[in-house]
Amino acid sequence: MRQARPYSGMFCGGVSARTGPHALPLARIKKIMKRSAGETADGGARMISGEAPVVFSKACELFIAELTRRAWAATLDGKRRTVHKEDVATAVHNTDLFDFLVDVVMADHHAGGDDGEDAAALE
Amino acid sequence: MASGFLPPGGATNGGSNGGAQAAQQQQQQAAPMIREQDRLMPIANVIRIMRRVLPPHAKISDDAKETIQECVSEYISFITGEANERCQREQRKTITAEDVLWAMSRLGFDDYVEPLSVYLHRYREFEGEARGVVGLPPGGSARGGAGDHHHHPMAPPPVKSRPPGAAMAPHHHDMQLHASMYGGPPPPHHGFVMPHHHHQGGQYLPYHYEHPYGGEHHHAAMAAYYGGGAAYAPGSGEGSGGSASHTATTQGGSFENPFASYNK
Repeated sequence: MRQARPYSGMFCGGVSARTGPHALPLARIKKIMKRSAGETADGGARMISGEAPVVFSKACELFIAELTRRAWAATLDGKRRTVHKEDVATAVHNTDLFDFLVDVVMADHHAGGDDGEDAAALE
Repeated sequence: MASGFLPPGGATNGGSNGGAQAAQQQQQQAAPMIREQDRLMPIANVIRIMRRVLPPHAKISDDAKETIQECVSEYISFITGEANERCQREQRKTITAEDVLWAMSRLGFDDYVEPLSVYLHRYREFEGEARGVVGLPPGGSARGGAGDHHHHPMAPPPVKSRPPGAAMAPHHHDMQLHASMYGGPPPPHHGFVMPHHHHQGGQYLPYHYEHPYGGEHHHAAMAAYYGGGAAYAPGSGEGSGGSASHTATTQGGSFENPFASYNK
């Protein structure tokens, strides 16, 4: 059984049975990685070192925190207290680093509402 | 709902934009039945991480939660894609932790590399300890990740040759602690960590991560960090809201508060 180790102190959430000391489940991360990684040149499956999801579990924390902070900035700009997806979209559009997410927030808009709402959200 | 359930028409509207989405669409077409629970991080975990940086009175709408959830998956795909290409170029079969770090620094997430390297090092150390092989260099070739020392032009020279603390604030009170922890056999891949342009001052986030070695007070330290995060979110918001000036420097600056509160 896995026990709390000092490196788990990097999280506030403590240790759960599901994720171990990591804030996000490693198996899930690995699945997403597997899908994004193609095949090797000889057609074999790309392998993923056990440590790679460990890095991602922490990286995703940093990423979520940063995106959330920037979305919250947009929320405050609108003098609101509830973070909406439009705020996330604003954060993405305002941050060069997050350019790769433009389609994600756009897709969400299209899934969620009509074009009029979309245009308003993207301002 | 999540874009995995988009009708085909909805999924094709982003065609003029980058390749990441195109790749995702391809995957969705190739395997339309990917279950949501395989495609996204658990929402509860995502919310927990979001709450840490938001002030207590903040609320999060469901659509925002789902969007962030989507973004996390996209982030993993984005980084993995880059790491994957590197493996392909170098004809390696396995994506290692170093490939991931390398991809992050290449794609603009340089600020993450150092805290992640420290984290990885710690992980290796305690995993090694747990396996009773603490005498070996942590994360040695047994773990697969450390075996391939690819000397990529991106990678700075190994830290081995660098005196501990050369790149950090000289008066950091954890210096000795740090030196004693890292002065011994150097971590094999710690060398990845330091893009040189980052050294901008004493409020260097990653060294905050050293504190857990200090023992009991590390929870307080993290509380300060995350608590500080909540406290400074509004401030950083005002600064960053309308502008596109989100540079690494801005981010570095935004971490000052937790440090200030911690370093007393």
